[in-house]
Amino acid sequence: MRPVAFRAVEKSFGAVRALRPTTLDIAGGEFLTLLGPSGSGKTTLLNITAGYLAPDAGRVRIGERDVTELPARKRNIGMVFQNYALFPHLSVFENVAYGLRSRGCTRSEIRRRVEEALATVQLAGFGGRAIRQLSGGQQQRVALARALVIEPDVLLFDEPLGALDRQLRKHVQLEIRRLHQRLGRTTIYVTHDQEEALVMSDRIAVMREGRVEQIGSGRDLYERPANSFVAGFLGESNLIEGSVTRVSGDYAELSVPALGMAIRGIAAAGLAEGEPGAALLRPETIRIGADTAPCLAARASEIVYLGEIVSVRLVLADEREIWCRRLSNLGEVRPGPTTLGWPAEEVRILPIHSNEETREVRHDRSS
Amino acid sequence: MPKAVRILLHIGVSAILALLVLPAFVVVPASFNAASFIRLPPAAFSMRWYGGFFQDPEWLSSLATSAEVAALATGLSLSLGTLAALGLARLGGALRTALYGLFLSPLIVPTIVTAIALYYVSRPLGLVGTIPGLALGHTLLCLPFVLVNVGVSLHSLDPALLRAAEGLGAGPWRVFRTVTMPIIAPGLLGGAVFAVITSFDEVVISIFLSGITAKTLPVKMWETIRVEFTPVVAVAATFLILLTLTLFALLRLFGLRQAKPAESLS
Repeated sequence: MRPVAFRAVEKSFGAVRALRPTTLDIAGGEFLTLLGPSGSGKTTLLNITAGYLAPDAGRVRIGERDVTELPARKRNIGMVFQNYALFPHLSVFENVAYGLRSRGCTRSEIRRRVEEALATVQLAGFGGRAIRQLSGGQQQRVALARALVIEPDVLLFDEPLGALDRQLRKHVQLEIRRLHQRLGRTTIYVTHDQEEALVMSDRIAVMREGRVEQIGSGRDLYERPANSFVAGFLGESNLIEGSVTRVSGDYAELSVPALGMAIRGIAAAGLAEGEPGAALLRPETIRIGADTAPCLAARASEIVYLGEIVSVRLVLADEREIWCRRLSNLGEVRPGPTTLGWPAEEVRILPIHSNEETREVRHDRSS
Repeated sequence: MPKAVRILLHIGVSAILALLVLPAFVVVPASFNAASFIRLPPAAFSMRWYGGFFQDPEWLSSLATSAEVAALATGLSLSLGTLAALGLARLGGALRTALYGLFLSPLIVPTIVTAIALYYVSRPLGLVGTIPGLALGHTLLCLPFVLVNVGVSLHSLDPALLRAAEGLGAGPWRVFRTVTMPIIAPGLLGGAVFAVITSFDEVVISIFLSGITAKTLPVKMWETIRVEFTPVVAVAATFLILLTLTLFALLRLFGLRQAKPAESLS
């Protein structure tokens, strides 16, 4: 299982910096998801890995091999495309066999390996079908078999589940995860769907405007986001903006004049006194009807019963809305005035995004 | 729309279509005429002039010349036109528009001008009166049809398919042979059909380049009809109509069948 390494890889399209200098290491057998909105550079990084795009600068290594100059056909990479890109004029069998034929395998070996791959994706016996006879989910699995059968060093996925309905998507997510656990191939998966990222990944790299904002396990990113962008992109979040008044030890204080209060929480790295910041209150952190400090007056305006949890919309003094979630068995919530509280150790004080200058400075220092 | 209006519309449209097409089919009954002159309606049914056509070595050799020229011109324009279409698809902006216009110009420039120009160029090269000379001239006229047909097919080709094939280890030639070509096959077929028909039908360039040694079928028809008005010309014309109809029928049959999976892509 080969590791993948990016060293200061960058790419621009005209004036657009699609990918800023990015250094990233993916361990052999790891499942890494590139998560980000469109235009964040995740697909650019994927295409550079596959060899469909040449980086303007930097090196890409797969295992011991520097593949930066290598054409896509010599990289031994299996890719599952957004719309599958199955060959419409070939049967299921021939689609899967394509990579083996290009490699000059013998007929009997092709037959054996294609059938094995089709069985792996639970499509045994579908070899003779035409592509247009298959459902979207089946086409997706053919695409997966076609990428797996060549025993690639790295498996790449480019938002492959976008065309499937929600129910099927969940099913396929788990299937891809099981397959990864069984086969253990180094995998890079591109998506803008946070749930998809959480279900499948060992680590997630959150990208924005051509750079990796933060990389870590799903839990890392959710519980210890580096900045307000990551916090907002992964999971539901209530972000209350203000200015950082004090940083001491692990904690920081954020003054929020609109609410006439200061919020205390665990300080994220890179926080500086006097700069704007945001307090992250996850919906499950907020306690309704609390009477211990910190205590905030609010009005419960909407209560949505979701089975095991209740989602409550709260309006604060400055008409700002925040959402809170709690387990249904903690008792009923009634609309009307109430008080909110939270344990300071579950609140995080974050820098607002990370801006260009600080990033550039940090980069210089590390190199 | 009221029913009466619709019926009137149908009749009107049918009449216009008939007016467009029927004159061409007049030659069919004329070719079965027993008389020595083209006459309508035919005086008596006879296969006499079909016999005449096949027993006359001049007619047969002109048919052979036409077939050879058409085959060469089709092959040439198909290869050049496909390469041009592939190249144009990779270009962008003003250059692509300019080159596209250049490739299509033989359709716009009056054929007689092209013919005279070709005559001047071909004579010193010894190409007048030769099959390669005629084929080259016809290629000029066939090229735009191939370019347009293949170009449209290429447009429906998902570029991700080419990347997928390359990623699976296929080199450029293998990608073209196993992915591009099968998918643009309807365009290749359409281009080929238009090329064959254009070449078989071409008379202006052919008159200039035929000389006396390489007469194509339309040139032979043109010469015959000026000196003798026999129904053998109608026989030749019938063959040309038959060829056209057969080729278009083939195109419908295979072109559509091939196009379907490509459409489901988008």
